[in-house]
Amino acid sequence: MITDHTLLGLATIMYLGLVFFHILYFVWQKEKLLSAVQHILYAAAAVQAAGILMRWAISYRLGIGHAPLSNYYESLIFFSWSISVFMICMRKRRLYPAITFVAAGISLMLMAYASLSPGVERGIQPLIPALQSNWLHIHVITCFLGYAAFAVSFICGVLYFFRPGGIVPTRENLEDINYRSIIIGFSMLTSGILTGAVWAHFAWGSCWSWDPKETWSLITWIIYALVLHLRFTGGLKGKRIAILSVVGFASVIMTYFGVNFFLAGLHSYAT
Amino acid sequence: MSAIKSDKMRGGPIFRFLVSVRLTIITLSLIAGASIVGSLVRQGASEEEYLSLYSERAYHFIRLFGLDDAYHSSWFYLLMGVFAINLFLCTLQRLRRLMAPRERQAPDLSGFVSAGSGFATDPVNREEVVRRLGPSYRRERVSETTELFEKGRFSRYGAIVVHASVLLILAGGLIGNISGFKAYLALKPGDEASAAMPRKPGQSAVVLGFTVKCTDFRVSFYPSGQPKEYASDIEILDEKRNILKRGRIRVNEPFSYKGVYFYQSSYGRSNVYTFKADGRTFELGEEQVARGVRVPFMVVRYEQDVHNFGPGVMVAYMDADEPKTLWFLSNVEKMRSHTVNGSKVSLENISGQFHTGLEVSRDPGVPVVLCGFTLMLAGLYINFFTAHRRIYLALGPDTLIVAGTTSRNKEGFAEDMRKIGGGLA
Ligand code: HEM
Repeated sequence: MITDHTLLGLATIMYLGLVFFHILYFVWQKEKLLSAVQHILYAAAAVQAAGILMRWAISYRLGIGHAPLSNYYESLIFFSWSISVFMICMRKRRLYPAITFVAAGISLMLMAYASLSPGVERGIQPLIPALQSNWLHIHVITCFLGYAAFAVSFICGVLYFFRPGGIVPTRENLEDINYRSIIIGFSMLTSGILTGAVWAHFAWGSCWSWDPKETWSLITWIIYALVLHLRFTGGLKGKRIAILSVVGFASVIMTYFGVNFFLAGLHSYAT
Repeated sequence: MSAIKSDKMRGGPIFRFLVSVRLTIITLSLIAGASIVGSLVRQGASEEEYLSLYSERAYHFIRLFGLDDAYHSSWFYLLMGVFAINLFLCTLQRLRRLMAPRERQAPDLSGFVSAGSGFATDPVNREEVVRRLGPSYRRERVSETTELFEKGRFSRYGAIVVHASVLLILAGGLIGNISGFKAYLALKPGDEASAAMPRKPGQSAVVLGFTVKCTDFRVSFYPSGQPKEYASDIEILDEKRNILKRGRIRVNEPFSYKGVYFYQSSYGRSNVYTFKADGRTFELGEEQVARGVRVPFMVVRYEQDVHNFGPGVMVAYMDADEPKTLWFLSNVEKMRSHTVNGSKVSLENISGQFHTGLEVSRDPGVPVVLCGFTLMLAGLYINFFTAHRRIYLALGPDTLIVAGTTSRNKEGFAEDMRKIGGGLA
């Protein structure tokens, strides 16, 4: 029988294929391979979406119906999917294979970690009362779309340190995509933090309680706000923005993973 | 952007520092740094906990700088204060600058044309260009020969709206801090209270001005043992015991009365243990001592299931200056009673009862904060996803120059300019 795990496993294999086809393209530089890359990206994202929907449907069949956005495993899957969705949306302004290559690698790593790590609970779990709220959906979706955008900004920051030419896009293009990603990421992260605060207000009676996850999301938010302002004062450009994009993403990683492993808090992914 | 730097700065050096983005960068970095420290150092724990975690010297240092409550320490408030002043002044200044009358002169249009955001065409095409621009542009005559088509002027206010929203959120937080309270109530069904327990030891109880009565509390569980849902029914009573309001509080669904909000934040279970000793009956709660017997004893621990033998309680007593403990298991005949220093003690019954844990708070800052949230999202949208476009139509003797600038999305603008100029001679 086809379950959510079948579809998500298939999507993982497709991400592996996606990475592989990128490498083939880098070696042979054939336009046909590039279009294959695009089609695999679409297909992988579609299969992954089907897997997420299937999981949703199954949770209802189990009588504990809820959107698959409620535990660590589900958030990893959604994070990986968000990155692909971001790639597809960016296609309008040209998809650079160097960027999609790293993005596919990150998606693959997230999926592999989600489905293989013994520390990740993969079952569909019932929701504890605090999570039974519509704010959960909008909070999680906005946060992870933000993280995905910051992942793209990070990729641009890293690629900035490679010599342009060949598969590496020009520095202007990288800066442009980086800036656009930060704008989207910042708007999404802001929405994520604000919806989280509203939700916390209803669930616990306090918008902000300085729990480590909240605190780190604020730190991440401040870092990207600094990036936006540094562009104005120092006219900060180029290398330093690239470095800050990497630092900002390190803070995203700390917010998402680090807090779970190093610091204890209220957030349910912390288990 | 360069306008910021070329603008003549007013005021003395201190004022200039206070409105500068440099100060913003310093304070925001310090706030971020302080938050990192606060997230790494255990917050609000007791002295013993700190000493078990850190060395004595480290603990001294932590206390000295208030790192055990970093987000409420005086230097953190100072930092926030400086930041707020900076933001306030800077926002005012930007607002004043945007309101100031603007120069009407057209900028160097040929530069725009060579940069790709404009084109030259035959003057006869003027009507067609205006038609293609569409009705969304505001038209204005700048000089004899030059017209300005402008769109999205409000886009320039986006950053100001975001800044104002940050101020509003901070103000809301401050209002809540000054005139609100946060407290806690633990009630068993049937219990009532007219004051709520403070969150921190040392603060006094909060007198509510009315009585809250818990009429019922229910909790249901998933088969895995996790809580599925819990809810309390409460009544608000006045001093003559008239019911003023009644309602149900669920997680995520608070209940309010006269600005005081009740949140279903937790629940707990408390047991009453019935013992017989020396022919007397005792009803003990946890940590309560049975006195008046030969060997006083108390309940120190309860376990739902002791090695698969069912519920059990651990009882402590003193045996010639030496503390001793004993397990009583209610489901095991032989373990229901023990002889303690010659007298027989037996566990007769364990009766359990859930109590509801309610967060009680009054926070007049919340509407202000929510306004701030809405404004911030609106401001971000306006700033990042709308653009201020200016397109000039300059009529020369035998050419019409159509060229302009945009504050955002230069590529999209250049593409639109190409469309407008497409097919015109
Ligand atoms: C956490 C607080 C702050 C947030 C969230 C924030 C947010 C923003 C945003 C989103 C922008 C637009 C950036 C862009 O278009 O790329 C901006 C611009 C700007 N911010 Fe802030 N800001 C904050 C604090 C401050 C403070 C305290 C100052 C005081 C000097 C300041 C000065 C400026 C200036 C001068 C600009 C550009 C001016 C303009 O386009 O009108 N910001 N800010």
